This record gives sequence, structure tokens and C-alpha cells, in this order.
Amino acid sequence: MIRPSSLIKRISLVFLLGGVLYFFIISFTDFKEIYNSAGKDFFLLNGLLDTGSRNLVTAIYLDYRLFDSLFEAGILLIAVSGVMWVSEHKITEKNANFMLDKQKTPELFITFSRLLYPVMLLFGMYVVINGHISPGGGFQGGAIIATAILILYYIDIRKTIEVNLILTIEKFLFLFLFTIAFISYFTRGEFFTNFIPSSMGMDAQVFYLYLLNILIGAKVSLGLIAIFTAFLKEGR
Amino acid sequence: MNPILSFVVILIGVYGLATSRNIIKSVFCVTIIESATILLFLNLGAYEGGLVPILTELGIEIVDPLPQALMITTIVIGSTITSLALMLCIKIFHHYGSIEWKVILRGDK
Amino acid sequence: MMVYAPLLFLFLPVVASVIVYLIDHIWVRRSLFLVQIMMLAMFVLYAQFLTQHPDQNMLVFGGWDETFAISFYNDTLSLAFVGLSILMWSVLLLYTFKSNRNEPKFLFFFMFLEGIFLGLLQTNDLFNLFVFLELMTVIITILIVYKKTGPSFKAGIFYLLINTIGAMFFLLGIIFLYYVFGTINIQLIKANIHLYADRNIVKLAFIMMISGLSIKGAFFPLFTWLPKAHGVAQSTISALLSGLIVKGALYLFARVAIDMYAGAQYQTQELLFYVGATTAIVGVIFALVQKDLKQILAYHTVSQVGIMVMGLFSNSYLSYIGGLLHIFNHALFKSLLFLGVGVVVTKFHTKKVTEIRGLFRTMPVTSILLIVGMLSISGAPLFNGFVSKNLVKYDFKYDMFKMALFTIINIGTVTSFIKFSQILFGQKTQSVIVTDRKQQSAMAILAILCVVIGLFYKPLFLFFFNLDLSYVKLFDLQQWLDYFLYVGIGLLLYHFVIKKDFKPFKAIRNLSISFENANYMFILYMVFIAVFVFMYA
Repeated sequence: MIRPSSLIKRISLVFLLGGVLYFFIISFTDFKEIYNSAGKDFFLLNGLLDTGSRNLVTAIYLDYRLFDSLFEAGILLIAVSGVMWVSEHKITEKNANFMLDKQKTPELFITFSRLLYPVMLLFGMYVVINGHISPGGGFQGGAIIATAILILYYIDIRKTIEVNLILTIEKFLFLFLFTIAFISYFTRGEFFTNFIPSSMGMDAQVFYLYLLNILIGAKVSLGLIAIFTAFLKEGR
Repeated sequence: MNPILSFVVILIGVYGLATSRNIIKSVFCVTIIESATILLFLNLGAYEGGLVPILTELGIEIVDPLPQALMITTIVIGSTITSLALMLCIKIFHHYGSIEWKVILRGDK
Repeated sequence: MMVYAPLLFLFLPVVASVIVYLIDHIWVRRSLFLVQIMMLAMFVLYAQFLTQHPDQNMLVFGGWDETFAISFYNDTLSLAFVGLSILMWSVLLLYTFKSNRNEPKFLFFFMFLEGIFLGLLQTNDLFNLFVFLELMTVIITILIVYKKTGPSFKAGIFYLLINTIGAMFFLLGIIFLYYVFGTINIQLIKANIHLYADRNIVKLAFIMMISGLSIKGAFFPLFTWLPKAHGVAQSTISALLSGLIVKGALYLFARVAIDMYAGAQYQTQELLFYVGATTAIVGVIFALVQKDLKQILAYHTVSQVGIMVMGLFSNSYLSYIGGLLHIFNHALFKSLLFLGVGVVVTKFHTKKVTEIRGLFRTMPVTSILLIVGMLSISGAPLFNGFVSKNLVKYDFKYDMFKMALFTIINIGTVTSFIKFSQILFGQKTQSVIVTDRKQQSAMAILAILCVVIGLFYKPLFLFFFNLDLSYVKLFDLQQWLDYFLYVGIGLLLYHFVIKKDFKPFKAIRNLSISFENANYMFILYMVFIAVFVFMYA
């Protein structure tokens, strides 16, 4: 049911948003002349030689902008701690409704999940490890691994994963990530970059990329598993 | 044409935010705005004949890799905000018994 | 070696917070005080280092070309804010330690926020700024809902959604700027902005960034999240939110809208000045009709933010300095007031102004500290509010309308604090009060700073910033007479109008904007600014 005051509001909203769209269109008519390709040319010329990775996106978030990736891992840590804290249950809530006790997974789901689980896990690990020569990397592969482990809940809904252990491991991984980022000061004189100097050639620099991708993949997957578990166990 | 369509999706998300009476709808509108922003950023940099920025051999025409790296971070940030907001929605439902903005924002002043 | 100090400001609290969460022992938590003292000492050394070597204030990470890598940049403005933040966090840690020393998670979030805020103040890279902004939003949401009561979830989700929308629009502005300039380094964009200033894309980026930051800075009409958040949070978090986080948004305003866009010369001064004036007046009107102690202070923050914006965006250098100084002073005295109210509310178990009486006889030390705070905020001579308000108002004597606006806001401020001070009078009600020395010493530090800045501003400013402030005369008879006139008008207004609590006041008190209407206001605000910038700039 749409009341008259709400109808006026909706029509005026459409006009206002149309105005914003108009401003956007008149700004972008001459986009092709303004487009500044300084960034693209820099990464095309120097990306491979500086960092040793063929995938330029991985080169950016693991070497040129490692500082950002550290705080991205940090926001996952904060979000997981926050969700765990908020979901702790107190007795005084009136409408708590425990959904999971009422449902039974169909037999078809259970069989297919048993087939899919090892395949997805292997694919996730492949994406994490090969982040520097094909599309992928730590963040993407970590999400795939977390989804693979979520399938375990389809197979057996009462299987619980020890969440406190996951959180402790995740914090240690976070501190370890910082340490690796800081070591480069001692070997190369600069913070937040690859700790293997470029004089040792590209084949040696690749080890750093493997190590960081695996660390970030582990951290992201553990964090997402903790969030999924908190949602599934909400109310236990 | 593609950037304009992405911007229209952003505006649809904003329209949804300004007219939704349910908390979960508002959270999903924020997700829509965030996904459409990512699309807009990637669309502006794409052009006909640009290849993926993976150097299988040197000297090819690639798309700008910096927006893609920035958007990986944005996707992670967006997903963490969505998860925190949804957990808060569950807790609000447990306390108040309803997930409509009007019911929640009146009462206990 | 000292050139790497900005990095340590960021990492020391973050690493300390993770260690506090991992190891659950009381001595680890006590060592947080040691961390704070180390940061204060490092700040003093770093400030000395920068005054001797002013060309070493940029720190590029990774050793790459500064156009494409993340860098930190420090100048006088950011150093002053860094010093204020470290001081405020030390004082708040002192205040909150007794009640929260057995909660490692609270200390974890609290110290992590300190590191992130110090990083936000120093970073020179726009996307890094966005990441820090979102991190701050998430941590503050978790701190607001820390007590897990029903109203706190309500305030928390409102805060989270509104601030995320603001940050998304800020991100849109960053996107447009990247495609025009090819870099997201603030100092480089600042040097090159005059080349493209008349293009529509740069104007659109400006509008998006200003709209996004206005939500975080609680301008009119987007300030509705602030009173809700203050009503449910603990006093420490309220002091943090009002004292520093809103000022962080104003700092970003000064950094992005004034500093970075200086070469573009969009004539938006008048528009933003009147937005500030409207915010101040609306804040004061709402503050006058509230009955809850914390809500009075919350609406006051909104109105003082309006005064700061009026100072920053008027066309004179003195008012700009006055606006920046008011940001400092407000952080000090508003936190003092919130901490004092926290102590009072804990002991009296109620938050309404009408129900608390006899504070002066029951808790004399706290009352004296609260009186210092009230005198500072209303602009009494000998306290720091006087200095900043006079600086802001100094150049208004050529423009009668602006002077009249400012006087109305001052009278409103004084009146609402007369209402607030009703809790001091009356008989002694409670007999046994347990005093917490740490809380009192924390508040005493803030009060002493207020008085020191109020009395010794001339030598302090000459020493730190090389500014001669002899315009503001401390013992000028005119200013004292003005202040007593304001107090007199305020008393009359209070007794004949406010105390009676007429029907329109009840209506204003119960006015609340729902979430979808708040978004509608945001779209109106953005279109309004967009029309102004596209037509007149």
C-alpha cells in the first residue's frame, strides 16, 4: 500500500537521482581525452623486473602496496573478533529461534557434497599457490577454501569446529605477516617490500611471493570459517 | 555506455536505501552500492582490445592493473561490513522481535 | 632513524593490542601504560627532529617511485593532531582502566583504534585513507555495541550503515580522481590540480568527497547518528567519539577540501560557512530541549562542530586558526564533560537532569572539574574556549549578519549549560561514595590543560607555531562585559522559557528521523551542493 506522502517522496527521489545521473553524464562525455595512462605505463614497464611476478595485480598488492594488504588482513581480524563477541549468547533474549534443530538435509545434497569437497579444496589451494602466474592469489583462494570447508556443514550439521583455536592461530598469522613485512628493512634497507634483494634474480624472488600468498590464503580462509561458524551456531 | 549503466545500478541502490522499511533490505542495498562501485571502477579502465594484466610475454597491451588491486581490498572490506551488519540484525531480532525500522526506532527514548 | 617514527606511531599500539588479546595476564595490560608513555616521548623527539630537518617529512614505503607507492607525510597540522590524539588516548586509558581491566577484548579494540587513527592522520595516499576510514567505522561500531543491550544494537547498526554509505561516496570521488591524474598521492594531486580544475569530473569528485565526509563530521542534516550513539555508549567511548573521531573527519576536510583543492579555487566558502551556521543553530535548539544529560552534550557537539566549520570556511586567516584551535579545545573540554558525566551517572544511576541534585555537596572534586568544563565551553575569559571563540569572531566585526548569528549561538550555548548546571545545586543526597583516584586524575589533567591554554596562549603559540596572537586581549573589559551579558540573558531565558517545558519543546524532543528519511536528506544535501558547485564554481 503506497500512501500519498510516500508517493510524493518516491517521485521526488526519482527526480533527484535523475539529476545526479545527469551530472555524471555531462562529466563523462570527454573521458577519452582526460584519461591519464601514467600508472598503466609504469606497471607495464617495470612490474616484472622489480618484483618477479608475471601477474601484475599480484605484484601490486604484494610488493608496491603491501601496506594496504596488511590492513586488509587487519580488518578481517577485527571483523571476526567483533562478530564472535556480538554473537555470544545471553539468556535474557526473548525471541531466540533455533533454526538448525528443525531441518534435515536431503540425501542428494550429502552425496554430492562428499564428492565436491576434496575437489574444491584442491582447487582453492591451486589458486592460492599459483597466484603470481595466473589469475588468483591469497585473497581469492582463501575465499574458495573457506567455501569448501563450509560444505562440511551440509554433510553433517552437528560437526563443530573449534573456533577459539582458529582465532588464536589467526592472530599469530597476523603477527607473522607483520614480521615478514618488517624483515625487508634489514636485507634491503626499505620497509614493506620483498626481503630477497633483486640482485639475486627473479627466480629467487618468487619464494617470497609463494610464502606471502600461502600466509594470506590461510588467514583469509580461517577468518571466513570463523564467521560462518558464528552464524551457524548463533543461538547455541 | 558501460560506466553509465554501472552508475545507474549505484543509483538504484541509493533509491532502495531511501525507501526500504526493513533492515535486511537496507543491508542488501549497501551491498548493491558497493558491488556497483567496483563495477564502475573496472569499467572505466577497460577498452577494446585490452588484455588481462598477466605478462605471458613482454610488450602486450594490457588494462590498468592498479584498479584491480584496489578493488580486491574493497571487496574484502565490503564483505566484512555485510557480515557484521547481518549479525547485528540477528541480535536486533532476538531483542525486539521485529526487523522493521519504524518498530525499532520508536520506543525506549 | 627518527625519520621512521611515524611508522612506530602506527604499529606500536596495533601490535600491543594483539599481544594483550593473546596473553591473558594483568601485567601485560598494565604495560599498556608503558606503551603510551613511550609514544609520548617519541612524539616529542620526532617533533624536535622535524623542526630541525623540515625536508624529511615524507616517508615512502618500499623504496619505489613515490607516484605509485604509499607514503606518509607530516606537516604542522598533522603533527598537532597526532600529539592531541596520543594525549587523549593516554588520559582515556587512565580513566577506563579500573572498570575495564578485566576485559581484554575492550582493550584490544581500543588500542587498535589508536593505531588506526594515528595512521589516518599521517597518510598521504587516498586509497589508504579509505581503508583506514572503513577500519575506524567497524571498530567504533563494535565499541558502541560492546555492552550488548537492546538500544545499543539499534544505535550500532544505524551508525554502521550510514557511515558505510558516506565512505562509499568518498570512494567514488577517489575513483574519478585516479582516472584524471594517474596517481592517488595527495601531495602530487595537490601540485597538479590547477591543470584540470575546470573539468566536470574533478568537480564531481569534489562533490562526492565532501558529501561523504559530511556524514562522518555530523553536519546538518546528517547528524542524527551522533545523539543515538552517545545515548548508549560508555562514557569513554562517548568521549572518544565526540572528542576525536568527529574531529578526524574535520581534519580530513581541511586536508582534502581545503589543502588538496586549493589550486582549483572553487568558491565554496560561503556555502559551507552557512552549512556550518545552520548546524550550529539547529544543534543548540535541540540541546536546549533535552532532559538527558548525555543528549545535551551530544547535541552540543553538533553545534560546536558548526562553529568549527564557520571558522574554517570564512575568508580570513584568523578565523581559520580559530577554527583549528577550537577543534583542539573542544576535544579537551568536551571529553572532560563526558568523563565527569560518566562518573555522575554511575553513582546516581539515572541520566535525567531533573532527577540529579546536590552534586556539589556530594562529590566536590568532580563538581569543580565539571565547572571548569562548563566555563570553558561557554567561552568564559581565563579558559580556553574564550581564546578560540574570540579568534573565530574577530573578523566578523565587519559583517553584522555573521556577528549576529555567532552571538545567538553563544547565548544558546550559555543557556543550555545553565540548564546543565542545575545538577550542582541542592542538598546532599548520597552518603557513601567510593572515589576512584585514576578517574579523578584523568579528568584533572584535562582541566589543567584547559586552564593553561586559557591563560598562557600567547607564549604557547609563539613557541610552537610562530604565531602572534596579541589580537585576543585577555583583560579587555569589553569581553568580560559581553560574557556577563550572555550569562544574564541566559538566566532570564532559562527561568521564563525553558524551565516551563512548553508543548513545542516536547515535540522537538521526540522528533526522530528514521533511517530511510536520513538517506533522503543525504541525497537532498548532495544534490544541493552539486547544483551550487556546477553553477557557481
